[in-house]
Amino acid sequence: MGKLLRTGAWILVAIVGAVALAGVALKRGEPVNSAWLVTAAVCTYLAGYRFYSAFIAAKVMALDDRRATPAERLRNGHDFEPTNKWIVFGHHFAAIAGPGPLVGPTLAAQFGYLPGTLWIILGVVIGGAVQDFVILFASVRRDGKSLGQMAREEIGRIGGGIALLTVLLIMIILLAVIGLVVVNALKGSPWGTFTIAATMPIAVFMGLYLRYWRPGRVLEVSIIGFVLVVLSIFAGEWVAHHAVFGPWFTLGGMALAIALIIYGYAASALPVWLLLAPRDYLSTFVKLGVVLLLGLGVLIVRPDLQMPALTQFTDGTGPIFAGKIFPFCFITIACGAISGFHSLISSGTTPKLIAKESHIRPVGFGSMLLESFVAMMAMVAACALEPGVFFAVNSPAGIVGATPAAAAATITSWGFPVTPEQMHELARHVGEETLFYRTGGAPSLALGMAHIFSRIAGNEAVLRFWYHFAIMFEALFILTVIDAGTRVGRFMLQDFLGHLWKPLGRTSWMPSVLLTSALIVAAWGYFLVQGVLDPLGGINSLWPLFGIANQLLAAVALCVATTILIKMHGAKYMWITCAPLVWLVTVTFSGAWQKIFSDAPRVGFLAQARLLEAGPQTAQTKQLIFNNRLDAVVCGIFLVLVTAILVDSIRVWAGILRGTREARSSEAPFVPSQLEAEELG
Amino acid sequence: MSRAWTLFWRTLLAVLRELADERAYERHLRVHGRPASGEEWRRFSEERLRQKYQRPRCC
Repeated sequence: MGKLLRTGAWILVAIVGAVALAGVALKRGEPVNSAWLVTAAVCTYLAGYRFYSAFIAAKVMALDDRRATPAERLRNGHDFEPTNKWIVFGHHFAAIAGPGPLVGPTLAAQFGYLPGTLWIILGVVIGGAVQDFVILFASVRRDGKSLGQMAREEIGRIGGGIALLTVLLIMIILLAVIGLVVVNALKGSPWGTFTIAATMPIAVFMGLYLRYWRPGRVLEVSIIGFVLVVLSIFAGEWVAHHAVFGPWFTLGGMALAIALIIYGYAASALPVWLLLAPRDYLSTFVKLGVVLLLGLGVLIVRPDLQMPALTQFTDGTGPIFAGKIFPFCFITIACGAISGFHSLISSGTTPKLIAKESHIRPVGFGSMLLESFVAMMAMVAACALEPGVFFAVNSPAGIVGATPAAAAATITSWGFPVTPEQMHELARHVGEETLFYRTGGAPSLALGMAHIFSRIAGNEAVLRFWYHFAIMFEALFILTVIDAGTRVGRFMLQDFLGHLWKPLGRTSWMPSVLLTSALIVAAWGYFLVQGVLDPLGGINSLWPLFGIANQLLAAVALCVATTILIKMHGAKYMWITCAPLVWLVTVTFSGAWQKIFSDAPRVGFLAQARLLEAGPQTAQTKQLIFNNRLDAVVCGIFLVLVTAILVDSIRVWAGILRGTREARSSEAPFVPSQLEAEELG
Repeated sequence: MSRAWTLFWRTLLAVLRELADERAYERHLRVHGRPASGEEWRRFSEERLRQKYQRPRCC
């Protein structure tokens, strides 16, 4: 009877999911309620988790709770510690949820709500969650080894080296592009800039509090920090209207970029307890709270989607970024569907905390589904805005026209009516001078979130608070990624330079710290400034570059995963990771090829350089030509690196499948688990 | 029902304390058999943060 009920329930989930997906895909000419998207997503996640992940866990991985995990075998009270599965779930989710799943879907909404939604829902079940799950499993079975180490051991030395180099390059592009998102969100916004600036002394206060006044009271000081940050949002309005302070915090794009570069350098070189760590604690809690609030908000408000299912920009002429729906939709949304960066987390801290092998499934597969749900919420928030407003906020002046009247006329001519008066009124409501040309996704996401939040708590009058709260939330954790990323990049560079001259590798030697920090900051700072100067808004060139890089890292992770599956089962189950790998290679290689060689100047870096060469040659034009060529070279380097690891992997696979190469596994030997359930606090 | 809520809140608090490194600090004290103190926290957090910020951050 029980089995019959369970079967009936799953059939119901499947039917409801299929009806919701059909509704999302086929409804035309009338607003679609966001409840359809949420239902389609949740039912697909449930079915994917219940059946696909269970199949992989049982048949492919043969997860075995009798086998001791590295957390038990290597338990040391520091890195390796068997931990309750829900705690590991929360820890892992907090680590994988960055700005990507919020910004990517917002940008991809230019194609309409449908393409991004389908990619988020299907991509995560078939690709992203599988990648995270298999890499986490592989790392747990290999004493918590990193992706680079596994690539070296399973594929070869080339694979390991390439994985590390790819990570460093991606990090540089990532830091630049998210820096640009912050710059564009704060440009000409004294309120937002003050609030974000205030988080720095607040973080320093928290650092001192933790170190000297109340050591170890992290939750306590985080609550105090949060209250101070909320107060700074209220103070920001006063500062913005102050005759003296207002202009201090009204900064242009270049000034903000320079401030960010100086901040990144300082945060990388300062003691970590003083600024970075307290800010990171605060940002983690705010991030989790806001994501939860956004999820609840969407479920309660269930806004209608104003954006059509498909826009005319599927043809590649989009104002936010140029390029056709294939491959650019799948590059723009990485986190939320599949993200290579997650493989670094799945082979970092998390495998060292897994107490039982059965926990790998909820942690690896389950938390990626939750991340995908966050991306879905971002898509809803963006598409609930009127399309005219959405495009007015996200389109650069170089595309829609340099004045509000010209921009409104251009956007209206696309079939998305908007007026300068409407935008002015909206800007007034949220306490900003203007909302035109706020490219990067953060301001439009903040607008969408503010609308949802203000419908639950307050009304139009509190819209301004919620808008700045959302901007603070986005900028706070983006800046945390920037300062932590700069530090990580510095360590990687020191590790590399240490092979050339030993003292450079010493992380405690100040000249090396200062030099390598400067090199990393200069690298991402260069691309950030390039984005600020770009007349097409910067996002047009940098976000696809980041998306390509991130997806190529996912391809590296899937190469490692496929190699491991082939060593375990031969060709039988290699399709599980090979299918998403083939898709990613197709998407990223065609995307990268187009970004380098397309004849359309807004798409191809080289075509853009040629177009600029044909015009009058000023110092700025020459710089733009160089930047475009540099972007083409970076894109080419990514392609070459991943081609090398792909060829190396295929060589290994062919050898194993033909029987000319030994399928030697680097799995740790079986040790029976002695861990009792009550030991997991 | 109330047991389920208690369990939920306990787990949530445990997740937050894990994210805040407070549970890791307790483990550190247990492993080394030392009482909590300002000096001990500084020793623990320096090592903990040094390792934490050597790992790549997600996007």
